[in-house]
Amino acid sequence: MTLWPITLVTFKEGIRNRALYGITLFALLLFGATALVATMIPREVGKVSVDMALSTISFTGLLVVLFVGINLMAKDLDKRTIYTVLSRPISRSQYIVGKFFGMVLIIIATMGILSLLAMAVLVLMKMTFAADFFSRFSWQLIILADCLVVLMLILLSAVSFLFSSFTSSSFITLVLTIITYIIGESLSGVKALVESPAQAVGFTVSPLTRRMVEAAYYIFPNLSLFDIKVQAAHALTVSSSFVIWTVIYGLIYIVLSITLAALIFTKKEFP
Amino acid sequence: MRRLLIVAALILAVCLHAMALGKAADAMKLLPKDESQAFVLPSPLLKIAALEFHGIASDILFLKSTVFIGSAVGRKEKAGIKEWEWNWYAKILDASTDLDPYFLDPYLYANAFLPWEPGKVEEANRLLEKGSRYRDWDWRMPFFVGFNDFFFLHKDAEAAPFFMEASRRPGGDPMLASIAARIAFKENRTETAIFFLEETVRMTDDQSLKELYETRIQALQSIALLERGVGLYKKKFGRFPSTVDDLVRRNIINQIPVDPYGGTYSVALDGKVRSTTSSELEPHISPLMRSLH
Amino acid sequence: MDNINIAVADNSPMCSNNMIKLVNISKKYNAGIGEKRVLALDSLELEIHQGEVFGFLGPNGAGKSTTIKILMNLIYSDSGSAEIGGKDVRNPEARKVVGFLPENPYFYDYLTADELMWFGGKTAGMDLKSIRKRSDFLMTKVDLQNARKRSLRTYSKGMMQRAGLAFALIHDPDVVILDEPMSGLDPIGRKMVGDLLIELKQQGKTVFFSSHILNDIERFSDRAGIIIGGRLRLVDSLSKLLSVNSNLEEVFMKEVEAAEGEAAP
Repeated sequence: MTLWPITLVTFKEGIRNRALYGITLFALLLFGATALVATMIPREVGKVSVDMALSTISFTGLLVVLFVGINLMAKDLDKRTIYTVLSRPISRSQYIVGKFFGMVLIIIATMGILSLLAMAVLVLMKMTFAADFFSRFSWQLIILADCLVVLMLILLSAVSFLFSSFTSSSFITLVLTIITYIIGESLSGVKALVESPAQAVGFTVSPLTRRMVEAAYYIFPNLSLFDIKVQAAHALTVSSSFVIWTVIYGLIYIVLSITLAALIFTKKEFP
Repeated sequence: MRRLLIVAALILAVCLHAMALGKAADAMKLLPKDESQAFVLPSPLLKIAALEFHGIASDILFLKSTVFIGSAVGRKEKAGIKEWEWNWYAKILDASTDLDPYFLDPYLYANAFLPWEPGKVEEANRLLEKGSRYRDWDWRMPFFVGFNDFFFLHKDAEAAPFFMEASRRPGGDPMLASIAARIAFKENRTETAIFFLEETVRMTDDQSLKELYETRIQALQSIALLERGVGLYKKKFGRFPSTVDDLVRRNIINQIPVDPYGGTYSVALDGKVRSTTSSELEPHISPLMRSLH
Repeated sequence: MDNINIAVADNSPMCSNNMIKLVNISKKYNAGIGEKRVLALDSLELEIHQGEVFGFLGPNGAGKSTTIKILMNLIYSDSGSAEIGGKDVRNPEARKVVGFLPENPYFYDYLTADELMWFGGKTAGMDLKSIRKRSDFLMTKVDLQNARKRSLRTYSKGMMQRAGLAFALIHDPDVVILDEPMSGLDPIGRKMVGDLLIELKQQGKTVFFSSHILNDIERFSDRAGIIIGGRLRLVDSLSKLLSVNSNLEEVFMKEVEAAEGEAAP
């Protein structure tokens, strides 16, 4: 089981990254802002609290993937620790997969702590305000939204691994991952925009544009599927088939990304 | 000695900094604002720009709108708020509810403000109908639409189905169904309006909105009192009074009620009671009056 | 002078067992867009016998590092094959018996030396108890006992080198490959590495190290190979080489001149 030493070493290195201190502080500030802002809302204090708590988890997680995650691969390639690791009797694929699992552990650990903090803030808000400010509140949906966010972050991380496997610069990986995130989140909105009739949006869209958007829709990860924050904030129902299919989509995309990353990485040379 | 000078210079710099900041902020408030600032991105673009943060984007837009209302309510003369400012307000609430159509607060505020001073009834109803579609557990949305149709637009036929819908939803007063019938028979409008507004006050927890509605109820109650008086006068003397003072002189009513909007009452030739304000700053007939005739 | 022309003298009594075998290894690098491709290694043939210390000598850029990296499967040869302990270098199993120290080793900032040893041992299939025992032994040997719980970020260059050596030896490998092991070390460090090389030889390990410092090759190698411009020009036992010439420098300069003579038409 040679994956475990790589996974554990990756986890330790990542979790001790000084950037995490700054990111945690930032998250605490955002949670504080949650409590402050939600009290300014006349009626739906509950919905706004949930909005902000889940958004804090999302955004902080994004920072972890971008600045701790990408750094993990970059350190190996920029700073030549790769020689140390690859000198062991492990294959290139084992290296990539082991490292990725280490990253998954980091995401789960950090998001776990953040989620606990978020729950604490929500419990605090519920205790402070009367029940009818939280008229529609569902712990199950909030936890489900949280889990989907974690899955999305793992997916984004897998994509960043893919980029790391063929670029030599960690900056390029960072830029590409950010672009993928933006495209991934906005893609379904753009697709809806170009497919809606001209009079609804006020301009016509050429068929070429429509086809390009559709192609992009299948290539880039549709990250908006993993965003059920609005549903969680209003305790709306989310069908189990939606959840199942979204999770399957996510897992397949992750497996494809990592497999491709491992394949590309196997061809890579380190002169 | 040098250290002392440096410390003194630093303290001076900090004071200057605070002063400059204060002066600049004050000056900025006095800058003329114009219509070019009334731009709100169209909702499809907002949704794309908001990425996965539709919820908080909606919250932020709503908070922006409350800042506007806060400063507007502070301005004594409501008519001093310009048309384009109300347009912006409507657009902001529309954008907020496009980002999160289940969010209650924008709908409540849209209903509390748009149909009244700015007279944007259709705009308000468009928003509220959106709210009614999404918040299908909420009886207040169709209730508001029905009220606006009835009270402001005099579209009684259109109002009735909304009241029916409201009566069917959880928390909706089943009485609303019979009110729908009443409207169809065009009974006393002012008293019906008072009933609806009292319903609204009952469900409102926001203190500032409550006061707003109660002032309106007071105005309507004064009108209702005078209308009853005019009716009694007609019965007794066979014709309408020429002024409201006639009602007092002939002992129909004890005293002329106070118009919370500061206007004076008069009786029209057809017996309808009107109020005009004496304030030079509000030369128009109040929308309240507009809606009753 | 054709491509494959090396003088190989096999006077070692254990020449029957080849721990490292490079057969017809060539490697071209793309120097840049539009520039000529550089031939880093040209049909290299080399065999290292079990139990010997082999010094790989050459000027900077001659192909020493390239050869070592091909052995460690960090880069891939264009042609030919390479084996360690009878296994192809492209097979991770080949590295089970290899301990590698790169030039200027670098490790994960936030790990401690102990955690690094654990990583090295675990990936080579050792159990925790053995790792602990070996760690204690090696940390003392390289004089890092006091620093083993500190994060590697805080280590000086000399300490890094020593940690690297311990890491390379944690699983008691039969083959030890060192790329410029003395580079950047102070006299104390050089002494430590030197003593270690001797000790490894006494234990019967196979050592393959590269250096551009003649003196180091002279002092520690049983056999030496001289590589210039990607071509292996001379391989012989130290005793043989020094019997004909007064010192290794003479041998070396002769080859350098010969190489320059071939290059210029």
